[in-house]
This record gives sequence, structure tokens and C-alpha cells, in this order.
Amino acid sequence: MLELKDVNTYYGNIHALKGISLTVNDGEIVTLIGSNGAGKSTTLRTIQGLIKPRSGSVVLDGVELQKLPAHEVATLGVAQSPEGRMIFPRMTVLENLEMGAYVRRDLSSFQNDLEHAFTLFPRLKERISQKGGTLSGGEQQMLAMARAMMAKPKILLLDEPSMGLAPILVELIFDIIKKLNQEGTTILLVEQNALMALSIAHRGYVLQTGEVVLADKAEKLLKDPMVQKTYLGVE
Amino acid sequence: MMKIIRPGITFGIIGGLLTFLFGGWSVAVIGCFMGLGLGLGLAGQFERKNPLELVKSALPTALIAGVILVLLSLYQSSVVQEAIGKRPTAEEIVAKGNLIGFLGAVGFSLLLVALHSLPEKQEQQWKIAVLALVVITFPFVDQASELRWTSQIIFALIFVILGLGLNIVVGYAGLLDLGYAAFFAIGAYTTGILSSPVHNIQWNFWLVIWIAAAMAAIWGLILGAPTLPLRGDYLAIVTLGFGEIVPVLFKNLIDVTIKEPLTCWILPMFGANTTCIVFTEHFDATLGEKGISPIGRPALPLIAHGEPAGAAMTIKIVIMLVAIAILGYLFWRAWSSGNRKPGVMAGFAGALAAIFIFFLPIPRTNNTIIDSVLGIIQPGEFESSRPVTWYFLIIGIILLSIFIIRRLRDSRLGRAWMAIREDELAAAQMGIDPVKTKLLAFAMGATFSGFAGAFYAAYIRGIFPSVFDFSASIIILCVVILGGIGNINGVIVGGLVLMTADRLFLPALKDFLAAFLKTTILPSISDPAVQLAVKDNANPILYRFLLFGLTLAIMMAVRPEGLIPNEQIRAELHEKEAVAEVEAPKSKKGKKG
Repeated sequence: MLELKDVNTYYGNIHALKGISLTVNDGEIVTLIGSNGAGKSTTLRTIQGLIKPRSGSVVLDGVELQKLPAHEVATLGVAQSPEGRMIFPRMTVLENLEMGAYVRRDLSSFQNDLEHAFTLFPRLKERISQKGGTLSGGEQQMLAMARAMMAKPKILLLDEPSMGLAPILVELIFDIIKKLNQEGTTILLVEQNALMALSIAHRGYVLQTGEVVLADKAEKLLKDPMVQKTYLGVE
Repeated sequence: MMKIIRPGITFGIIGGLLTFLFGGWSVAVIGCFMGLGLGLGLAGQFERKNPLELVKSALPTALIAGVILVLLSLYQSSVVQEAIGKRPTAEEIVAKGNLIGFLGAVGFSLLLVALHSLPEKQEQQWKIAVLALVVITFPFVDQASELRWTSQIIFALIFVILGLGLNIVVGYAGLLDLGYAAFFAIGAYTTGILSSPVHNIQWNFWLVIWIAAAMAAIWGLILGAPTLPLRGDYLAIVTLGFGEIVPVLFKNLIDVTIKEPLTCWILPMFGANTTCIVFTEHFDATLGEKGISPIGRPALPLIAHGEPAGAAMTIKIVIMLVAIAILGYLFWRAWSSGNRKPGVMAGFAGALAAIFIFFLPIPRTNNTIIDSVLGIIQPGEFESSRPVTWYFLIIGIILLSIFIIRRLRDSRLGRAWMAIREDELAAAQMGIDPVKTKLLAFAMGATFSGFAGAFYAAYIRGIFPSVFDFSASIIILCVVILGGIGNINGVIVGGLVLMTADRLFLPALKDFLAAFLKTTILPSISDPAVQLAVKDNANPILYRFLLFGLTLAIMMAVRPEGLIPNEQIRAELHEKEAVAEVEAPKSKKGKKG
């Protein structure tokens, strides 16, 4: 479904992604793990079109994304729950969710999707008319995910959904990611919390300083000695 | 209790002091407006309950406001008037004026409070009905009471339109534009150039106003384009630059020569012997500092009796008949094919009216009956001596603007503007095209200043580059900020308050102060130099911008969200309190973030 081939992305002179290739198949959860600065978020930003790669290609269902601006990538079916959430702080929860559905021309099922989002995130229903900026961190994360889902994307990009959340909330968020996937959403998940990410993902890629150093089934990665040592803290 | 009474005291004192400035019948008009303001402000303070209880709880406030107004007004007519050596107002006017003022203040405020008992939608409709009544009757009341405020109110209304347009750019899309007067100038100059005998082009105002709006919109796109990659302060500085360039350009477009480059420079460079094609040479487009004057004015049937027939009349009538015939044919086809929707019918009616407006005057016959009938439908020009016609024209433009802006605000585009204002990057991720959205904000915002500019040029009958300088941009921005960024009602109130203060109250205050000083302080000053200095400096119009700045500074400190705020912006400015409120009850749940 989504395929990155030899993608090279630069920030000025800094070579951030050094020839990344990865694929995400229909119905999968694929996770990118790696330490700070490994290029995980940069990969997502490149897919979304927020940064243009200098070479390589990003292909979604046969359409090349790498030259398109971000808003056109969004209309082609890529939605992201970005790092730092980036919800609209002065809009209500409902208005935020409506913005999520902005790319959709056909809004006949909007109400159903809204209800569905609220069954996944009942917390948001309680806060429906509250301003996004006044939500707590966990609620903002839920809002960012629900907003991305409202676009009915082909592929959902999740950037560090567990960042800054209490352990109990992290578990809740991962349960929801699993549920979304079971309902048929293809997900590309970027996480620092490698254990959690690998336990729900089908496959995983390990990134180090802009390069893919390992790619395998998630359960195999969990047993890999290098991954265990570096990312799972197992001696 | 104090919370309810305080607005009564404030309104009463402000209203009463205003009667000091104008005297005469002013207390009646001021009382009514005071009642309106008080009622609109008070209604929101109460719960929805039955009207009698509402009236009962608002009664003390209304009475206090009315009593203070009348007391101050009576003090004005008995003591102050004499002190400043003004001719005393006739006793009958004093009695009647104060009675009407009192009844207006109490009646209007209680009426609006009582309306609060209705369900929200009905309350809204009734409020609009009351306001419509006031807006329609105002110029006639003004005429009857000899206050002569209408011609100044029209200036305030021009700034209301400008504020509404700027509000799209600044309020909805969040793009700080410090050069908005440039588009006002473009609208006004387009009108000036296209409908002034100076250039021998005298197009009909009803056509030119649309051209002016379109020109402003196009320049909105052109001037908006270079600002696209910029944000915040940088954007503001670039718009500031455009705001400076445009009036200077109009000042200097006095010697325009346009030559065709190929024949004049490029071919001769290669030794070819061509005759240079000159499009225009030494053309004075804007007449520089002198400005363009006179400028054509709008004309409508029922306004006044026009001049007798001219030579071009026959052609006009032929065109009119042909146009009517075509329109009639189209109408017949639509009607017989069953396309009878109200919108289609309204379109035909509008087209028919437009044909009449453009192509009548009708020649005079010698039959008095026919002449008087034709005289009624013959378009007459708007005159400066009759501000009422101008007043209704600008009210019409404002209503149209409000309608369009509300539709825009609630459309996909409006939502996109607000998303861009909140977070441009996140908006792009939602599928919003930032380039298109921002450009449309500039273009739509500029469109309304095009309307305002066209109206202004026709109303003043002349335009001068100095009107459109930086201070005009700042005043328009003040209107938006003072009223409440992002709120249509707020901008209207802001424009009215700021511009009536500037156009009505300051000149009246100047006269009042001059008269007051002449009878009190000046005679006791022996040194003629000091006397002159006091006299010259006691002119509040000199301190216009100081007062502007002071008002803004106070507003920013006391009520940064403006008089009638946009709830989203209020939420942001009071974010800390709101967050504290929300976080407090669930602080134990141990969330981070």
C-alpha cells in the first residue's frame, strides 16, 4: 500500500534520512522504533509532504506523493496524529473533529463516524464543547487521533502517541490503536516505547541515525538481542 | 445588587455628559440609544424566566440610568448652558426632550430585557426587529430633532464596512494586515478615475462600485501573494510597506507614459528603424495631491427629479427597449419551462430594475400627468444636502456585507481560515491548501474595502492621497480590535463607537470647551499670551491620536478581547483561568501533559 524507496531527506545540510526504504501493507500495523534523532518523525513528515525528500520515492497505492504539498497528500488518504498533537487550541473538540473531516467531500456518514469516534474515545464526548487547548495531555492525544480518523484515511500515521502520558493512559491508547487496526485501518506507528509498539505491531523497522538497521516481524524483533539490549533495556 | 446597578450608573453618566455637548433635543435621542445599549448588555446577565420577573430585576438599573440621564440633562439646560453662554433651549423642548429621553432609556432597556424571556432564536429575531426599527427611523428623527448627526454617522458606517473587511483578514485568517487602507484607496481611486469628468469617463456608479470591489480583490491577491511565506511580525511589516506604497503611487501617477517596449527599445537596439508605438504619454491619472474631483454620484428613481432630456436619449431608450425585449424573452422561456423558483424570479426582477436604473432618464412630454408619473421613476442623483439617501445606501451595503461575511464564516472556506489562524501546519495536514486559503482571505477582505472606497469617493465627491495614509490603516485596525477581533457585531459596535467619538463627540467637545473657557477661565487670565495659549491648546481634536492611543491602551489592559468578543479569542486570552477551572476537579487522576 505505502512504499518508501531509498528516501533521502535533508534539513539544510544535515542528512536526516539516508536512503530509507520501507513498506506498509494493507491492514498492517507497522512500527518504526529508534532513539531520539534516528529519523522516525522525519520519515512521517516526509510521507506527509511537510518536508520534500531530495531523492527517492514515496508511493501510496501507485500514486507518487514525494512531490505533492501536504494538503494534497492529505486528500489522497494520509492522515497523521502529529508529534506534539497540534490540535486547534481555540476550537472546541467537536470543531476539531469537523476539521479532521475537512478532506472529505461526502459527509453523509459524518454523524456515524463521529459516534464511532466517541465510542472509541468516550472521554471526548464528555468534553465535546470544550476548547481543545483546555484539555489535558491525554485527552489532547485522543483528540488528535480521533481527528485523524475522521478523515477516513487509507493510512494513519501516529507519531509518538504515548509521549508524555501516564502509564495507565499509554495502555489505553495502545488498546485503541489495536482496535482501530482490527477495524481495518492501516497504521504506521512511530514510538520510543519500543516494547509497547512491538507488542501490538505486525512488523517493525529499527532506525538508527537515518538508516534502517533491522526490519522484521515484530515478535522476532522482540527477541533480537540487539533490540533487547538497546531499546528494551534487557541485559 | 451592585453588579446590576453599576451599568445603570455608568450608562446614565455617559449619556448625561453627552447631552452637555449637544443640548437641545439630544437628550431624547441619546436616551433611546442608551436604553438600547443597556438593554442589550443587561439581557445576557439574567436567566431565561418570565418577562415580568425579568423586568422586575432590571427595573432598578433602568430607572437609575434614566434618572441620572435626566438629572444631568436638566443641569445642562439650566446651569451649564448659561455658563457657556449658549442660547437657552426653549422650555417646551427641554420638557419634551427629557421626557422622551427618560422613557426611551427605561422603555428600550426593559423591552430588550423582557425579550430575553423568549427562546433564543425568537429573542434574536425580535432584537433584530427592534434594531431595524431604530436604524430606519434614525435619520428622520435626526432630521426632526435638528441634531444633524446623519452625515457624520455615514463616515462611521464607512469604517464599519472597512472594519468588517479587515476582520476577515485579521480576525478570521489571523493575518495581521497593517496596510489595509491601500485597498480602500484602490477602491476609491478606481471609482474616481472611472466616474469623473476630469478624465471624461463617467460610468454609472452602480457599475463602478462592482468594478472597484473587483479591482480591490485583484490587488488583494497581488499584494497578498508575496506575503504567503511570512508569518506574524514579518507579515505585518510587509503589509505595512504596501500600505505606504499605494498612496505614494497614487500621489505620483501624474505623468504616465506607456510605450510598447519592442518597437521603442528592443528593435532600435539592433539597429532596426521602427516607429515607436506609444500607448499613452504624459497622462495625468490621479492628479497627485490635488486629487480627483468632482466624482460622479449614484442615481436612483424616487430620489429626486432629474434634468430634461438630452441628445443621447433616443439611443438610451432604444438600448433599454432591446434589453427589456431580451429579458422578456428569457423570462417567458423560463416561465413556460416551469422554472419558477423564487431565486430565478428575483433575478429577473433585479435585472429589470437594473435596466431601468441604467437607461432611464425619460424625456419630458407636455402632458403634465405623464410628466409627473415619469418624474417619479426618473433617476435622481444623490445629493450631499440630503444625507438620508446616502445613509440608506450605506446601510444597504453593510447589510449585504454582513450577509456575505456570515455565509463565508460558516462555509468550508471560513473554517479553513480559522484553522490557518490556529495552526498553519496542522491545517495543511487536514487537507487545507494554505496558499489558496490565505489569498482568498486577502481578496475577500479587500473586496469590502473596495465597496467602502467607491461609496466614500462618491460621497465626498473627491479623493486625495493623504486620506489613505498609515493612520487610516491603524484606525481601521483599531475599529476591529476595539470592537472584538473575529466578531461581526463587535466590529460594527467598534466602528460606530470609535468613529462617532472621532467625528461627532470630539468636534462637539471642542466647541463646548471653547465656550466654557471663554466664560470661566479665560477672563481671569490677564496675560494675553497665556490666554491665547490656553485657548489654542484646549482643542481636543488636536489630541485625536493621543486619545486613540489612550483608549487602545486602556482597552488592552482592561478588556483585551474587545467590546463584544469572539468567544474563541476570549478563550485564548483567558486561557489560564479556563485551564485552572478544568484541571482543578480532576487533578488527582495523575495525568501528565
